[in-house]
Amino acid sequence: MSIFRKYKEHLADVLYIWRQELMQVIKDEGVLMFLVIVPLGYPLLYSWIYNNETLRETPVAVVDQSRSALSRQFIHDCDATPDVDITYYAADLDEARSLVSRQLVKGIYLIPSDFAARINRGEQATISVYCDMSLMLAYKAVYQTAMIEAGRLGAGINIKRAGNYTKREDLITAQPLAVDDVAMFNPSGGYGSCVLPAVLMLILQQAIALGIGMAAGTARERHRNGQLIPDDDPHYRGAYRIVIGKALCYAMIGFIAAAYLAMAVPKMFSFPQLADARTLLLMLLPYTLASIFFGMTVSCLVRYRENVMLLMVFVSVPLLFLTGVSWPQSSIPGYWQGVSWLFPSTFGVRAFVRVNSMGASFSQILPEIRILWIHVAAYLALACLVYRYQFRLARRYAPA
Amino acid sequence: MKYITSIFHIALRELGILRRNRIYGFCMIAFPTLLVLFFTTMLDEGLPQDLPIGVVDHDNSTVSRGLVRTLDAMQTSRVTYHFASVTEARAAMQEGTVYAYLYIPQGTAAKLLSGRRPKVSYYYTMTCLTAGSMASKDLKTITTLGSAAVGQAVLSAKGATPRQIKAALQPVAISAHMIGNPYGSYNYSLTTVFVPGILMLFMALLSAYALGTEMKFDTGKEWLERAHGNIVVAIIGKYLVHAVIFLLVIFLYLFYIFNVLHFPHQGGVWNIVRLTLLQVLASLGFGIFAFGLMPSLRMSMSISSLWSVLSISMCGSAFPVAGMDTPLQAMSWLFPLRHYWMIYQATVLNGFPVLDVWLHLVALIAFTLLPWMVIRKVKNAMLHYVYIP
Repeated sequence: MSIFRKYKEHLADVLYIWRQELMQVIKDEGVLMFLVIVPLGYPLLYSWIYNNETLRETPVAVVDQSRSALSRQFIHDCDATPDVDITYYAADLDEARSLVSRQLVKGIYLIPSDFAARINRGEQATISVYCDMSLMLAYKAVYQTAMIEAGRLGAGINIKRAGNYTKREDLITAQPLAVDDVAMFNPSGGYGSCVLPAVLMLILQQAIALGIGMAAGTARERHRNGQLIPDDDPHYRGAYRIVIGKALCYAMIGFIAAAYLAMAVPKMFSFPQLADARTLLLMLLPYTLASIFFGMTVSCLVRYRENVMLLMVFVSVPLLFLTGVSWPQSSIPGYWQGVSWLFPSTFGVRAFVRVNSMGASFSQILPEIRILWIHVAAYLALACLVYRYQFRLARRYAPA
Repeated sequence: MKYITSIFHIALRELGILRRNRIYGFCMIAFPTLLVLFFTTMLDEGLPQDLPIGVVDHDNSTVSRGLVRTLDAMQTSRVTYHFASVTEARAAMQEGTVYAYLYIPQGTAAKLLSGRRPKVSYYYTMTCLTAGSMASKDLKTITTLGSAAVGQAVLSAKGATPRQIKAALQPVAISAHMIGNPYGSYNYSLTTVFVPGILMLFMALLSAYALGTEMKFDTGKEWLERAHGNIVVAIIGKYLVHAVIFLLVIFLYLFYIFNVLHFPHQGGVWNIVRLTLLQVLASLGFGIFAFGLMPSLRMSMSISSLWSVLSISMCGSAFPVAGMDTPLQAMSWLFPLRHYWMIYQATVLNGFPVLDVWLHLVALIAFTLLPWMVIRKVKNAMLHYVYIP
C-alpha cells in the first residue's frame, strides 16, 4: 500500500467520524442543550443579572441626637451622594436596629448629642457607623460614604478656622497634597464588568466539557456492551482518528461559541472590550482546543451521562475562584494554585480578562498562551491515550 | 401502621441503592467535604493580604520614601516593584504582576514643604474588584497621611498637644462597627453562601436523579408496589434517607465552621437547626418538582443544575438583588437559595427575629410542598413511561 493511499484512508476515516459525531450531536437534545442553548442563553442571563453594575442609593437610617446645623449638613451631604440614600430618621439606636432587622436599611449613622459642641470646642467629634455585614457591597457604600463626607465636613471646618484670604490657600489647607485616584479598566468599579468576562470564558469550557461528556455517555448507553467506541463500524479503527474526527466536530461548534461569547455578548451589554482582533484570535484558538481535548479526556472517565453533569457543575464555582477574578490570585494558597494549573479555564480566563478588559497585547499574555498550548498538547495526548484504552476495551468485548 | 412499615422498607431499599451506586457517595459525602475544605482554605486569610503593588518614585526624597514604606507596612499591601516609568508600571498591571501603582512625580517633597500643593496619583485595576478596592483603600490612606504629615509637623512645632493635633487634622472621625463580621472577612461572608448553595444544588440534582434512575433502570413499579401503590408513602420513604444523610453532612459542616473555625453567629442553635431543616426539605422538594415537571432523567437534572447554578448569582449575596432590574428582583423569589440566604443573614448572622423575614420562611415551606402539585405525574411516569437514552 502506498503511503498516499494510507493517508487518504486515514483522512477518510477522520472525515467519516467527524460526520457521524455531528449527526449524533444534532440528534441528542441533551447534548444540544449544553453545546448550543447554554452558551447562547446563559451569558445573556448573567449579563442581565449584573447589567446594573453598581449598587446605588443604599438605604441608611440616621439617629441624629445632635440635631445641630453641622449634623444636618453631614446627613444632607451623605444623602446627596449616589451611593447612600438616607431613608429613615430613627429616634434611637434600638429603633434603627429594628429597621435593619426588617431589611429596610443596610446601615445606621449615629450622630452623638455632643457632636456639634465638640467641634465648636475644637475637639474631635465622632460619628458611629453601624453596618449590616451581610452584603459587602452595601457595607462598602455605607462606610465609604461616611468616611468621605466626614473628611469633607472636617476640611470645611478647617478652612473656616484657618481664616485664609484666597481660594488657593483654602485648597492648600484642606489638602496640602493633591491626590489623583484613578480606577482603571473598569472605572465605575462595576460588578458585571469585573466578573462577566471570566464567567463567559468559564461557560465556554464547561459547556464544551458537558456537551462532550453527554455525547460520550449517550454513545455508551446506545452501545450493547456499554462501550464508548462502536465495534461494528470499520471506520473506527484507531484512537488518533477517533480523537481527531470527534475534535473536528466539537471545534466547529466550539469556535462559533467562543466567537459569540468573546465578541457578541460583551458588545450587547456594553461591557469593556479593548481586545485587538488578532490577539483575541490567538488566545481563543488554544483555549477552545484545550477545552475540547480536556472535555474528551474527562468524558472517558465517566460511565453514565448524568455523572459528567454532576462533576462539571460541582467544579464550576471553585474553578471561577481559581481564576483569580473574585479572589485575588496573589492570595490563593499555593496548593490551590497548583490544582488550578490542571484546568484550561484558569489561563483562558486570565488571558481573556487581560486582553478584553485591560487591552493587553499578545506579548503580555504570552505566558498564559504558552500554558494553553501545553494544555492542548497534553490533553490531546491524554485523550489519545484514554481513547486507545477504550478502543482496546471495545475490541476485547467485541463479539468475534 | 401499614404505611409506617412500608416507609421503613422503602427507606431500607433506598439505603441499598445509595450504597450500590457510587455517585451518591461522591455527591453526598466526598464532594461536600472537598467543597468545605476548598472554600475555608481558599479564603483562610479572610481579607486578601500583601497584594502586590508597584511604585514609580521620581521624587526619591525622604518624604516619598516614607510614603512607600508606610504603604509596604500596610497589612493588605506589599510594594513588590519599583518601576522606572508609568508606562512600565501600566504594562506590569496588564501582565497581572501588580494590582495598583503609586506615582510620585519629581519635586513632590519640595512643593509639599513650600506649600505649593503637589499632586501624587495612584492607579488600580478594577478587573478584580476585591484586589482593586483593597489596594485603593490603602493608597487612599497613605496619601491622606502624607497630607496630614505636613500639618502635624507644623502643629507640633507650634506646641500643640497630641489631642489638639488629632482634632485639628481630623475634626470629624468615623468609628465603624461591622456588626456580625468584625474583620470584614470574606471567609465569613462567602463560604456561608457558596457551600450551602452548592449543597442545595446537589440535593436538588440527586433527588431528581433518584427518581430518574428508578425510571431508567425500570425499578419504579417495584418501588410503588412496596408502598402499596401510595405515591406519598413511596416518596417519603425514599427521601427520608436522603434528608437524614444531608442533614448529618450539613450539621457536620456547621459544626466545623462555627465550632472549629469560630465563624461568628448571633442567632443561636435553634435558628441554625430550623434553617438547615428547611434548606434540606426545600431542595429535595425542588428536585422532585423538577422531575415531576419533566419526567425524564436528563431534562430534570439539567433543569435542576442550571437553576441551582443560577441561584448562586440570584441569591444576591455578592451583587445585591436590590441592584438588579425589577423583573429579576421578582424572579429571585423562585430560587430556594435566595430565601435560605435571606433567613441566614437575618436570623443566624445578625440574630434578628425570624418574624422579620417570615415571607422567606413561607417560601421555603412552599418549595417543600411543591412536589404535591406533580405527585400524580410522578406516579404515572413510574408506571407507564419508558426510558429512552
